[in-house]
Amino acid sequence: MRILEEGKGEYLKVDPDSYRAYVRDHKPHEMVSKLMSEKEAVEKLVHDGDYFAYDCNYFQRGPASLIREIIRQRKKNLWLCGKFTYVACAMLVEAGCADRIDIGFIGFGPWIARAVRENRCKIYEYSNAIMTLRLKAGAMGLPFLPARSFGGTDGFPHSGCKIVEDPYSKQPVLLAPALNPDVAIIHVHQADEYGNARVFGTGITHQECALASKRVIVSAEEIVSTDEIRRDPGRTSIPHFAVDAVVHAPFGAYPGTVQGYYASDPEGVVEAMGAMFRGDFKAYLEKHVYSVNSHEEYLAKVVGTKKMAEIRRRETIKEGYGA
Amino acid sequence: MSTPAANFSEREFVIVQVSRLVEDKKIYWVGGGGEPLSSVLLAKRTNMPNLQYLTEDGVVGPEAVVPFDPLMTMISSRANYRALQWSTMNYAADLAHLGYVDYGILATLQVDRYGNVNSTVVGKYEGGEGRRFGGPGGADSIAALAWRTILVTDQQKRKFVDRVDFISSPGFLDGPGSREKHGLPPGTGPWRVYTPWAMFGYDTDCQLMLQAIAPYVTVEQVLDEMSFKPKMAKKIEILEPPTEEELLILRTQIDVGGQVTDRGRWVELRDGKYCFAG
Repeated sequence: MRILEEGKGEYLKVDPDSYRAYVRDHKPHEMVSKLMSEKEAVEKLVHDGDYFAYDCNYFQRGPASLIREIIRQRKKNLWLCGKFTYVACAMLVEAGCADRIDIGFIGFGPWIARAVRENRCKIYEYSNAIMTLRLKAGAMGLPFLPARSFGGTDGFPHSGCKIVEDPYSKQPVLLAPALNPDVAIIHVHQADEYGNARVFGTGITHQECALASKRVIVSAEEIVSTDEIRRDPGRTSIPHFAVDAVVHAPFGAYPGTVQGYYASDPEGVVEAMGAMFRGDFKAYLEKHVYSVNSHEEYLAKVVGTKKMAEIRRRETIKEGYGA
Repeated sequence: MSTPAANFSEREFVIVQVSRLVEDKKIYWVGGGGEPLSSVLLAKRTNMPNLQYLTEDGVVGPEAVVPFDPLMTMISSRANYRALQWSTMNYAADLAHLGYVDYGILATLQVDRYGNVNSTVVGKYEGGEGRRFGGPGGADSIAALAWRTILVTDQQKRKFVDRVDFISSPGFLDGPGSREKHGLPPGTGPWRVYTPWAMFGYDTDCQLMLQAIAPYVTVEQVLDEMSFKPKMAKKIEILEPPTEEELLILRTQIDVGGQVTDRGRWVELRDGKYCFAG
């Protein structure tokens, strides 16, 4: 295949053969219970230097409680999959946990240019859909997938994409390298103890993210029985064998929403956005991460039952979300 | 029935203009929030109940409940209420690849002569010297794959530049044939650019062309707020002001909390002429 243009951005090595071997040797092929605390899951499965993907974001059905736990455990040198996200990349970089980002869309503010200037963070450019396509390629066991977008942009030279001559049509086409993250965290509505998981409503790339990643932590609003999963198998979004840990995390997306379960907390959203736009997360991290030892303690001490009742009450639309 | 309004903000003006451009029985992919979503929601509530839209979380044809909580224009129960289908981002991109997306509507930070869009950095990219923004997000897919793209931006010199500091999402890139050379599908590209002061189209050579202005500004004022001189249509039209009915819907059913229209100058009708208030 003739290569017409090449991005010069560093990208996670593409190696579908070793990923296949990893799946054979390390993925849980049998149904075993994986329920554990967030502390244990993050200790076991998130390693310094990992390529780390989270699905959705800190405000929209994202694994907010697990992101806080990763910061609490002071993980280092993570490489972030920064698609469809606002504050989480900022929090992780400013907390000293991450030093590389593949950017589709991130919440901006003075922090990012400063981190780049001070050599605390390297950035690579993509778009949201090119990042989800990379995960799709990773989830299909393929080395790359073509797309008819992103070519011609100034992001392209800072990416791992290439433009080649399509051997069939002879026209130029963009190839995006597959992405197989070391670890992914995904917040879902329901899961059983084995990791069969249900996401209700729209999403970004939870299924691809789970299948493409070596180690996967699912946090769930509700732990349900396997009988309940079997009652309506069409609603299973993620199969158990892709999942390495299941964490029960009610209000796990707080301050964000879990559609159908609870609304976002505008005050909490604005507090996090404010920290990002000021470029100073110190007070935010102290209050929301370091002042507590667990999500349970966070809900009891920082969020409070009144707030939890309020955001449940404000979520007035239930149709389609599990009921 | 349709009484021209005597008082409105220039931001309301641009939302109304874009909503009037929207065609019924077509499929739109809109950027999540801001003027694009407001325009589509307004069009649905005025006279185009059959238009459908997607957002990048893979929702198809929702009947959104407004107002949204801050930022909750996607992956939320209100934004995605009564949709025809719920899916995910790769599916939205698939639909756009297939050619189902007739129009894309995007709000943008900076735009140039060829309709290239910058949402990444103002100033120098290398070394973190410029002012960094979020990146293309879903806009790159919309700009590359929708048959026609409508851009919304401010009428400001620093936003209308000869060449954007960074092409986050593609316009016509360097001119005719350039998109195809970089792998984008033929027959796509920017179609209109709207600002609170003017409407632009594109000439056959892919260059921006001033076609119409708002009734409260002159052509000279528009050109003064651009860093380059666009091509000029043979006749520059005057855009019709919002009607009372459109404003009523926009204010009471769409931008209820003023999340989108809380900035921009106020316009009033004085002695039979529209002008900026104060």
